[in-house]
Amino acid sequence: MLEALRKKIQEIMPQVDGVIALRRVGKGTAPHLFLPGDDLSELALSPQFPLPTPVRIIQAKYPDKRFAVVVRGCDERQLVEMAKRRQIFLDKLTMIGVACTKEQAEYCRCEMPFPKQVDIGETVEGIPQTFLDDFLAKPREERLAFWKHAFAKCIKCYGCRNICPECFCKECVLEDNLWVTSGTVPPPFPMFHLIRAMHTVGKCVACGECERTCPADIPLTILYKLLKRDVETVFHYYAGADPNEPPLMDSTIFLADMDMLHPPRR
Amino acid sequence: MTPTHASEKPRIGVFVCYCGSNIAATVDVEKVAEYAATLPNVVFTQTNKYTCSDPGQEEIRKAIIEHKLNRVVIAACSPRMHEVTWRRLLQGTGLNPYLLQVANIREHVSWVHQDRGEATQKAKELVAAAVERVPLHEPLEPRQVKIAPSTLIVGGGIAGIQAALDIANAGYHVYLVEKQPSIGGNMAKLDKTFPTLDCAQCILAPKMVDAGRHENITLFSYSEVVSVEGHVGQFRVRIKRKPRYVKEDVCTGCGLCTQACVLKDRIPSEFEMGMGKRGAAYIPFPQAVPLKAIIDAEHCLLLTRGKCSMKCVKACGPGAIDFKQQEEYVEVEVGTIILATGFELYDMSALPQYGYGRYDNVLDGLQFERLCNASGPTEGRIVTKDGRVPESIAFLHCIGSRDENTNPYCSQLCCMHNLKLAHLAREKTHAKVYQFYIDIRAGGKGYEEFYKRVQHEGIHFIRGKGSEVIQDGDKLIVRAEDTLLGKVVEVPVDMVVLAIGMVPPKDIENVARIFNINRSRDGFFMEAHPKLRPAETNVEGVFLAGACQGPKDIPATVAHASAAAAQALSLMSRGQATIEPIIAEVIAEKCSACGECIVACPFKAIRMDEEARHAYVVSAMCKGCGTCVAACPSKSIKMAHFTDQQLIAEIEGILGRMSEYELA
Amino acid sequence: MSSPESNVQQPPYEPKIIGFLCNWCSYAGADLAGTSRLSYPPNIRIVRVQCSGRVSPELVLKAFHEGADGVIVLGCHIGDCHYIDGNHRTSKRIPMLRQLLAYAGIEPDRLRLEWVSAAEGERFATIVKEFTETVRELGPIKRVMVTG
Ligand SMILES: Cc1cc2nc3c(=O)[nH]c(=O)nc-3n(C[C@H](O)[C@H](O)[C@H](O)COP(=O)(O)OP(=O)(O)OC[C@H]3O[C@@H](n4cnc5c(N)ncnc54)[C@H](O)[C@@H]3O)c2cc1C
Ligand code: SF4
Ligand code: SF4
Ligand code: SF4
Ligand code: SF4
Ligand code: FES
Repeated sequence: MLEALRKKIQEIMPQVDGVIALRRVGKGTAPHLFLPGDDLSELALSPQFPLPTPVRIIQAKYPDKRFAVVVRGCDERQLVEMAKRRQIFLDKLTMIGVACTKEQAEYCRCEMPFPKQVDIGETVEGIPQTFLDDFLAKPREERLAFWKHAFAKCIKCYGCRNICPECFCKECVLEDNLWVTSGTVPPPFPMFHLIRAMHTVGKCVACGECERTCPADIPLTILYKLLKRDVETVFHYYAGADPNEPPLMDSTIFLADMDMLHPPRR
Repeated sequence: MTPTHASEKPRIGVFVCYCGSNIAATVDVEKVAEYAATLPNVVFTQTNKYTCSDPGQEEIRKAIIEHKLNRVVIAACSPRMHEVTWRRLLQGTGLNPYLLQVANIREHVSWVHQDRGEATQKAKELVAAAVERVPLHEPLEPRQVKIAPSTLIVGGGIAGIQAALDIANAGYHVYLVEKQPSIGGNMAKLDKTFPTLDCAQCILAPKMVDAGRHENITLFSYSEVVSVEGHVGQFRVRIKRKPRYVKEDVCTGCGLCTQACVLKDRIPSEFEMGMGKRGAAYIPFPQAVPLKAIIDAEHCLLLTRGKCSMKCVKACGPGAIDFKQQEEYVEVEVGTIILATGFELYDMSALPQYGYGRYDNVLDGLQFERLCNASGPTEGRIVTKDGRVPESIAFLHCIGSRDENTNPYCSQLCCMHNLKLAHLAREKTHAKVYQFYIDIRAGGKGYEEFYKRVQHEGIHFIRGKGSEVIQDGDKLIVRAEDTLLGKVVEVPVDMVVLAIGMVPPKDIENVARIFNINRSRDGFFMEAHPKLRPAETNVEGVFLAGACQGPKDIPATVAHASAAAAQALSLMSRGQATIEPIIAEVIAEKCSACGECIVACPFKAIRMDEEARHAYVVSAMCKGCGTCVAACPSKSIKMAHFTDQQLIAEIEGILGRMSEYELA
Repeated sequence: MSSPESNVQQPPYEPKIIGFLCNWCSYAGADLAGTSRLSYPPNIRIVRVQCSGRVSPELVLKAFHEGADGVIVLGCHIGDCHYIDGNHRTSKRIPMLRQLLAYAGIEPDRLRLEWVSAAEGERFATIVKEFTETVRELGPIKRVMVTG
């Protein structure tokens, strides 16, 4: 797969000013901007490290240049949601779509481990999100206890927010004393985490990066994925599917019948 | 919480109102005032018998001056009642009117709770909330905008024409935009008008001509508004002029091209409601304004197939025909807007049981008007499609009205027009005439009298809504349940006329979107208040005239149109309007340019500075709803007078005291 | 919460309810309930906003955090919003927040969204009665959240 990707990059390089991809650094991988003529031997593929944030930063710095980026399914969907919010300029970006492998998909518990256009790799099926139903099968008190326990471990490092490509705000409400009492760790349940969860609605593509980053192992994406599922089933809004669709929560789409959204009854 | 201008320590005065006994009967007003005196920053408290009365206001005025108050809390009735009064009072003392907070202890307390203890406690908390909030209030300055001395009128029916003439005669300029090739609207198609039976054209045509010739009216016929930007006083309007393929300034309206057109009398005429025919080159009707020919691009052989002998071009003396014409766009700036887009008939495809469009002799009211009209397709003879004089005619009421499956509302004038048409039928033929009705609604000056008169003209009234029309040879059978007899009747007739309900034009949704106005549940445009502001909309400077707001007969349409014109005129003659300063503002340094707010704003009032990468609010377009504020993830928008800080202070004020109560 | 050790007599639990009402329909509807002298429990404290579209999920969460046992958001019926479609946004924000509360183990019924027109004083009073009872049954917010 890496070989195929290398070839593809070589093919595209003459048409662009650089290619954003992952590169092997020591034992790990990191985002890298490959320039024309650069050695591609350290090119890497990984289920980790979202590339949209580097793309945003690079595009902001070189607004007139044209770049290509290697995208997994989650990268592509994030880029689309960010483009809707003017953080990415799709017209100056070429995407090289990579389908993740079965192992990678399992590692991420990814529901859709491929981009819309696959240039490299074989598409594999997504992982069913049955753990969400398992979670919802717990009675409410247990869910509450689960989160009280989980959030009590939060050290307020902002890692989840920092890694999330969709969290590009210049000033974050989570750092504003008006909304989240500052100076207390863990942050008082549940302002911090519920505000952040609301901010993922219609944006989060479930890349899982926040959760992987969290030093306290808080399973954040359970909340985000449940909300994502509602947004998909009730509003038929698939984050990252269509760059021309306005951001869901601000659009004029409305819930005609409030009973269309059923919170779990137990 | 710190006051916004930090230099000035808040000095709050709290005034608690007895409202006679309206509040005092359930709330211990003195206790509330005593309690208020213990709250932070409160330097003065007072109770008043009637805070809104002149003596009540005078006491507040004196207190503000004597005690150097810089914030005022009034605990009284709903702010929806007197907030404006008291703001004016503050202004009179030199205090900014927005440094006031009203606690509603009447509608939300004394009138709805009985227990004196509970009511007093709730009143205390609401006062405490206001005392927490008011130090955060900022002085706000109302904004002034200039009103350009011109009006856009959309729709050239009788409503649009009336409004245009009123405004033009007052010396202001009007741009009248009509989507059809001629103005006149539905009234132009009528033969006689109830209840006086004067001829529709005779009273309409002079007004059409006046509108066409007036020096203060620019008429854009065969045109549509495509976009509107700006706000009251300065709307920028983009108008699309569809090609007529005839130069308006050259055409003399002689009609020679219409005679010459190779498709002459081959295309159903819209004006004749399909009852008559026209050519591809045509003049909609003899009294059309502008009286100019038009070439119908959908049918013209040259325009559709690229080949034609072009007899029209040869026939035209002045050489007005121009097949190269293109769509044109015109931009105008106006201070006010009047919408007068009228109505259409209900789309009968949902009611196939009446055979409309299927049986030759099932007509709608407007088609029958054309049959009666001396300049109509039959020169005023009422005849069936195959030329027979009908021996019997049935008029069916309430088709596509007053029915949960179509339109629940009453179209208001179909009863009257059916009576009128029945009268015309009796006058012009010896036909037996039936009316199938649910009940007759003849509310209007001279209407009941007209109904009485028609009753004596030998017309058979069958009380029951026609449910079905069946073709049986030459005859049409009308089926209905006669509710007086309690049985189903079947009446064979030669012609059926349906009083089809009035509905908004098909493109109304688009028009509503362009002008940012609401529609009521019936689909027509929504007025600002159903009783007190029937010609205004929720968008300042945009008014409604005629049937676009709901079914109306001509007298009501004209009155409504003149009301809209008067509203527009009063704005323009003032030359300036004041806009509430309660608007949103983007805090540029915090903004990440994500544009969520732009999508969220119902008024398209937010733009993006792409260079500087931040959003900004076009203040004159902002209505102050605060939707953007809630949308912004990083809370980079500040909503004047409803800031997050202010609302949170209010919540803290309430909940802080509630827990005190719990502990007490 | 009452601890077994302390002998301090706790007053019976009275739910604290914050109502965010839009100025044009719902606040007017609440006023009408007053003008019509309809009675309802005194637990609700009304905070006036211009449009229900102003009510951000953050504000609702903040009200809970400050100790509200229930929060009710009332706006104009869909199609009647004074600001055309400000309430279309509300119709997604508040129900989605209810979902989130439920997922987090907090009773979603502590938060309610309804449309109340200026003419629906009676409906306002009924909803407030119902909601007060619901929140009374759910008990203090302190059971599920850290407040203050
Ligand atoms: C069968 C019948 C008989 C009637 N008889 C009588 C009677 O005897 N007496 C009586 O008092 N009333 C009668 N009426 C009612 C009368 O027709 C209406 O009161 C009157 O036409 C309303 O005028 P208007 O200008 O509001 O609307 P309309 O007459 O509908 O005019 C609207 C105009 O706006 C134009 N328009 C629409 N949309 C746009 C757009 N987007 N852009 C530009 N232009 C647009 C249309 O082309 C039209 O010219 C009758 C109605 C019917 C159906
Ligand atoms: S949590 Fe919310 S405010 Fe903070 S960066 Fe993410 S989206 Fe922005
Ligand atoms: S899973 Fe986490 S990091 Fe990924 S998009 Fe969603 S919130 Fe952001
Ligand atoms: S307050 Fe309302 S009208 Fe004003 S900019 Fe924000 S969303 Fe638009
Ligand atoms: S929503 Fe907030 S951050 Fe985004 S563009 Fe608007 S003001 Fe800026
Ligand atoms: S004004 Fe009532 S919901 Fe918008």
